[in-house]
Amino acid sequence: MKPFNHLKSAVIAGAALAALSMPASAEYPERNIQNIFPWGPGSAMAVTQIISEAMAQELGVNITVVSTPGAAGVKSFETALDKPADGYTFIDGWVAPLVLQPLVGNADWTHEDFVPLWSATAVPFAIVSRKDETRWSDFPSLIAYMKEHPGELRYSSGSIGNIPHMVMAKVMQANDVYARNIPYPQDGDAFKDLRGGLLDFTFNNPTTYRSNSDAFQVLAIMTENEADREMFDGAPLVGDFGTDMGLTGLSPTGWHWYVVKPGTPDDVVETLRTAMKAALDRDDIQEKLKATGFVPTMYSPDQYDEIVGTVGEQLISAKEAIAWEADKIAGK
Amino acid sequence: MFDLLISGAGLIASPLVIILVALGCTGGLLVGALPGLGPLMGIILLLPAAFYLPPVAGMGMLIAIYVGGSCGGAISAILLRIPGTPLAAATLLDGYPMAKAGRAGDAIGVAIAASAIGGMFGGIILILFAPMLAQIAVNFGPPEYFALAVTGLMSIAVVSSESTVKGLMTGCLGILIAAVGTDTMSNAMRFTFDNHNLFGGIHIVAVVVGLFALSEAAFQIEEGKLDARPDVLNVKVSFRSLFLTLRHRWNLLRSSTIGTFFGALPGASGIIASFTAYAIAKAQARPEENYGKGAVGGVVATESANNACCGGALIPTLALAIPGDAACAVLMGALLLLGLQPGPQLFTFSGDIVGGVFLAYLLANVFLFVLGILLTPVFVSVLKLRKQYLVPSVLLLSMIGVYAIQSSVYDLWFAFIFGIVGYVLRKFDYPLSPIVIGIILGPIAEGNLRRSLLLSQDGLSIFAERPIALTILAIDLLVILWVLLPRRVKGRLVPSRAG
Repeated sequence: MKPFNHLKSAVIAGAALAALSMPASAEYPERNIQNIFPWGPGSAMAVTQIISEAMAQELGVNITVVSTPGAAGVKSFETALDKPADGYTFIDGWVAPLVLQPLVGNADWTHEDFVPLWSATAVPFAIVSRKDETRWSDFPSLIAYMKEHPGELRYSSGSIGNIPHMVMAKVMQANDVYARNIPYPQDGDAFKDLRGGLLDFTFNNPTTYRSNSDAFQVLAIMTENEADREMFDGAPLVGDFGTDMGLTGLSPTGWHWYVVKPGTPDDVVETLRTAMKAALDRDDIQEKLKATGFVPTMYSPDQYDEIVGTVGEQLISAKEAIAWEADKIAGK
Repeated sequence: MFDLLISGAGLIASPLVIILVALGCTGGLLVGALPGLGPLMGIILLLPAAFYLPPVAGMGMLIAIYVGGSCGGAISAILLRIPGTPLAAATLLDGYPMAKAGRAGDAIGVAIAASAIGGMFGGIILILFAPMLAQIAVNFGPPEYFALAVTGLMSIAVVSSESTVKGLMTGCLGILIAAVGTDTMSNAMRFTFDNHNLFGGIHIVAVVVGLFALSEAAFQIEEGKLDARPDVLNVKVSFRSLFLTLRHRWNLLRSSTIGTFFGALPGASGIIASFTAYAIAKAQARPEENYGKGAVGGVVATESANNACCGGALIPTLALAIPGDAACAVLMGALLLLGLQPGPQLFTFSGDIVGGVFLAYLLANVFLFVLGILLTPVFVSVLKLRKQYLVPSVLLLSMIGVYAIQSSVYDLWFAFIFGIVGYVLRKFDYPLSPIVIGIILGPIAEGNLRRSLLLSQDGLSIFAERPIALTILAIDLLVILWVLLPRRVKGRLVPSRAG
């Protein structure tokens, strides 16, 4: 027998021995886990990296964040659904692909088709204009101006049909005014064009507002949550001006809830839930998340159906506001 | 501004920061040189580690990866005719012919020296004029971006001057490839055939690796002599390339300025900067400089421009909290996680950190030069590998890089398909670089034209109302008219150099 064949036999024998000595059912997790993330690089990706890193420390394996942007997040869900339901893939389930895209007919699932871990964070939105704006000084005077100049103003919610678009359209519909929404590939480009005078107002989040508080003036925060005032330097809530958006709780905000594919074994789901809870309970993680302007929501898996279900119902009416806005712009 | 630097000097003068910047730079060169990976991937991978470091050390390490990675792509472009990152697609136009002519060491040295000097230039502009330039960038809206994209698309004619029609055809192919995916203006699907793998479009890295790496592998295999020992001269560590680079000082200055300018415009990219700088350098060059056949000036132009872009891209990121490019978006996330708020307040409330970050950026460029030159013999030694080892190794690394972007097998298929496309196009002498230009500039031109029209209250008049956009478009029109003029008319208007 040639030396090479001796070596081959030894390797095969070693491998067989190693296989026999392994337990019949190894304990989860044995290898790295993937977190399928629906957006490109940015602060939301940094947030999911913080949570994933903390979960990885609990689980003792690496968690890789895989960015798969496309079709308002639908691509990420489709990508995750193609993978086995074994717990080695979980989804950073942002509201757009989880609830919104199915509502507008771009995805064929509902939130009930996924198994929840814990909710992660939420981001409140506000309507801002330039600080040196002279045509209006606050939310009521903006509405008054829009009534006098129907359809003339240009605003941006970032993309078309996203949560800020729904909420802003709903706020405008509630006040019987409308404007033209200009979509941008990156939210930052819209904020730049607001500063540059091409846009009249935009949505904004705490991160960008805090970075540009010298340039932007918050006209109204589009939630009913008193705690959100703090994120925007004590600015008024839209409800303070008598506007009823018909959106409560998480509905008018951007939020994400980690989920796994149905059919994932119960013990694996429980392990992931325990790791995520432990990660989110850490003070340093909470501080880091808040520093990015993302508020940890800490809803348990038991609350998933109730909370997400309510969001779905409320967003149906917000979706109709976008159709109403489109009709107005088209002169119908 | 000098107060910031002085207060930042205290933070950067620590062994931890200096070691991390050096490691980041070396790591950046490696992820840049490996086809498929790039500075963005490097930064994302090391972001979690940065959370546990002091702010200047963490940011210094990530910025060093950004700087090293933006240059590293040139190494594989020069040695293998495979751009390690799309940023280096323009560098192979002259870098590879230099290597073929036995000047691989010079080509890499020049690429590294030009990158470091361009990066320094961008950094100095960042330090001196960040708030002012950020304000100028604010005045560039969709009409101006459209005008710049049209100018960039015109560079296709220069890049493929030997076969302009073929270049324009492959440029159009690039624009068509970029049209696949979700239309960001309406959320409509274009050419996706209900396949979710196409919803996000075709990833440019898969296209670049396919077009350049796979087609080159096919050509190498076809050429045969797979087990022949390559006849490559030993390259010694030498700083001669610095002098070679400085001989092109006006080109260096002009290209670095172009790079910084495009970097400061959020959404414009280093790829546009390097192709534009190359097109201008080539148009300005004397015929005997032989652009496209191994001109040192070509490498100087592309590499100084794309690394100056790094400094430029940090301008809106730090001064306005608007990321200059995807890598800067991750850097901005890192700043937030380190407890720092980018934007004007960063300069007011965390001046020492800003000073430290500026100095770390400059230090990264110094390390890029020193480490890059020291490692050049190691890089060139790759060419000593026999093809039977080199070709499969490059293919394997390329495929790992493509898969790593989105963990998608489909990206590997796209790379394979574009490998065939690249092979066929090269067989018939169609230039490949215009495809990259089309992929990058097509969506910028289309999106900003449509956005301009939506913003306008009166159709195309928005272009006439914006002086910068109007001027750029008028110059574009004049250049096109000039090209279309019959040669005899041109001869009457401008006597030739030959008299």
